[in-house]
Amino acid sequence: MVMQILLGPQNPVPNLKQAVDRINTDGPIVVISAGWRDSEGEIDELREITGRSLEDLKLYRRAEEVFANEPALHELHRERQNKLRELQRLYRIRLAPTIAAARKLMRTRAEPELLRLEQRAAITQLRALDSHHLRRIRGIHLNFNERRSALEVPRALVQRDEVHSMVKNAGLVLIAGGHVAVLLNRIRLFGLDRLLAQKPVIAWSAGAMAMSERIVLFHHAAPQGKRDAELLDAGLGIVHRRVLLPHAGSRLDWRNRRRMALFSRRFSPAACSTLDNGSMIHLDNGQVIASSGSSIVTRTGRKRALAKS
Amino acid sequence: MNPQIDTLYHDGPPSAKKIGEFIQNNRFPLIEPGHVTFVFQGQADEVNLRRWISGLSTAQPMQVLEDTDLWVLRMELPDKSRFEYKFEVVRGGHHDLVLDQLNDVQASDPFGANSVCQGHGYKRPAWTLNDPEARKGSLTGFQMYSEAFESQRDIQVYLPARFKKSRSYPLLVVHDGADYLHYADFQTVLDNLIHRLEIPAMVVAMTQSPDRLVEYTGDLRHARFIGDELLRELNAKLPLIDSNNARGLMGASLGGVASLHTARQYPNRFGQLLLQSGSFAFSDLGKHQKGPIFDPVVSFVNEYRKNPFALAEKIYMSCGVYESLIYENRSLVPLLQAQGMQVKYEEARDAHNWENWRDRLRNGLSWLFPGPLWMVYE
Repeated sequence: MVMQILLGPQNPVPNLKQAVDRINTDGPIVVISAGWRDSEGEIDELREITGRSLEDLKLYRRAEEVFANEPALHELHRERQNKLRELQRLYRIRLAPTIAAARKLMRTRAEPELLRLEQRAAITQLRALDSHHLRRIRGIHLNFNERRSALEVPRALVQRDEVHSMVKNAGLVLIAGGHVAVLLNRIRLFGLDRLLAQKPVIAWSAGAMAMSERIVLFHHAAPQGKRDAELLDAGLGIVHRRVLLPHAGSRLDWRNRRRMALFSRRFSPAACSTLDNGSMIHLDNGQVIASSGSSIVTRTGRKRALAKS
Repeated sequence: MNPQIDTLYHDGPPSAKKIGEFIQNNRFPLIEPGHVTFVFQGQADEVNLRRWISGLSTAQPMQVLEDTDLWVLRMELPDKSRFEYKFEVVRGGHHDLVLDQLNDVQASDPFGANSVCQGHGYKRPAWTLNDPEARKGSLTGFQMYSEAFESQRDIQVYLPARFKKSRSYPLLVVHDGADYLHYADFQTVLDNLIHRLEIPAMVVAMTQSPDRLVEYTGDLRHARFIGDELLRELNAKLPLIDSNNARGLMGASLGGVASLHTARQYPNRFGQLLLQSGSFAFSDLGKHQKGPIFDPVVSFVNEYRKNPFALAEKIYMSCGVYESLIYENRSLVPLLQAQGMQVKYEEARDAHNWENWRDRLRNGLSWLFPGPLWMVYE
């Protein structure tokens, strides 16, 4: 039995301590705060909140050191990142008209049976586009991994072994939020994907997103106004059939029921689950066993409590 | 009449004490929804409001209030408007342009300072003010020899906080960069928008022409300098993302013309263009009326209007509705859009000045260079 707990943002009121108490481990607790980038490792506040001794894995800094010492790996990494960035741009070009058509169909009036089938077809197209994008991303990662395995990277191996040893000895891993792409990237760089699946983990915000099968970016209140949700990447796949939505209360336009309904149906059968401050989703082997303060977005764009703890 | 002035005259002509209290207790100009009242205190033969609003007379006479040395002018002003002005004071045949001594809100430009009228509802955006929590970027610089101009050029470079040579950054090249820094709080804006994750950490190269009336008006030497020489130099010196989409070019007024002209000479080398109140003069029939300086601009814009094509991936344009260039800017938008470029165009109730351009920077930069806010979930 492997326990995972997903939390919302830890501001303004943290609930990390309650989660740590639930896992109830005497073993060392390690932290992944690579999503904080240059602020990685500034975990005194977490120590204070949990009342426990914590050690940061420093994946972000280790990666910087690896890149400085392994130029071939760094170049390969850059090449992959550039490809991913470019692919995301191309995906957006296709996404914009596809989602605009679906949105228009969600608000237009027509004979119900005719309209229902057209709406369904438009959502199917959206899903197909997302699936295609995910396949392309996986292809880029696969290519990277193959080429990486052919490289002699002794410094990277030393760092990886150190990190693996720390995680193996840990009773619990905490994964903080932050920049979700950087976080995921560093976890992958050190090959922690499988190891984390076997460990008790508490992850919040971007950390929780990284645990899921698909990472969806969203913001309906960005500086440029509403932006269409985008599929960023495959996650670690530890949490199944769930799209995780940190800051859902402030980032999503709940007043726009049609928009939210489209959001929900686009990512179905995965459940779009909110993670706001105070939310807690308790999983056992990737399946939800209890939750509090979290909702799912229904097919009609409403909120429904996920479950009661 | 303005309500505060009505109150001042409630019991008949006011005493010197009452006038003193009126001055002491109010902020000037007097703002109310839809209107503004300017007040000048002093002896004069005549006082005019001089403002830089296209479509209205530049000098508007103020009226002296009975038995006082107060001159006033009340005018209609749509909410959220902002414009710059001075008082023209006539004494013994001498005309002096002076700042509004009762208004401490001023704006500067390369020609000096002006008083600023902020209409009802206008508020200076918070992201233009120093945020102590925002990490500060740094300004550095270098000189380079331009073969196109056959002279040395000074380049100022903004490096974002926590700049690292091991990373790659988007690049923005800015015409009149020193003016943007001095008059549009550009460094503060960059620091704040990067801190808020609304734009990515980026490198900004700022140029300043010694003769912009020539170099910015469709000069092929300038296009070569920016699009070829400067880019090569920056790529050699700095870790920049090697992609047109991660490269931007921007400018205001003639700087907007220089940006568009460079983009026309080097299509898609800069994927992102930010053009503020561009002086895009053109003529449909006959000779234009803008003066000889604009001859090359008209020639360039006319030629581009005749043979338009896609110059960049995205273009952000802005213009103030109180400037005469609104006509040229509005005219250009559908033409650019028709070439398949993504064009975002915004208007503000403001005029041809640096604070107008400052206030539009967030929308422009965050649209052209969306920051990692999208990726960050704390």
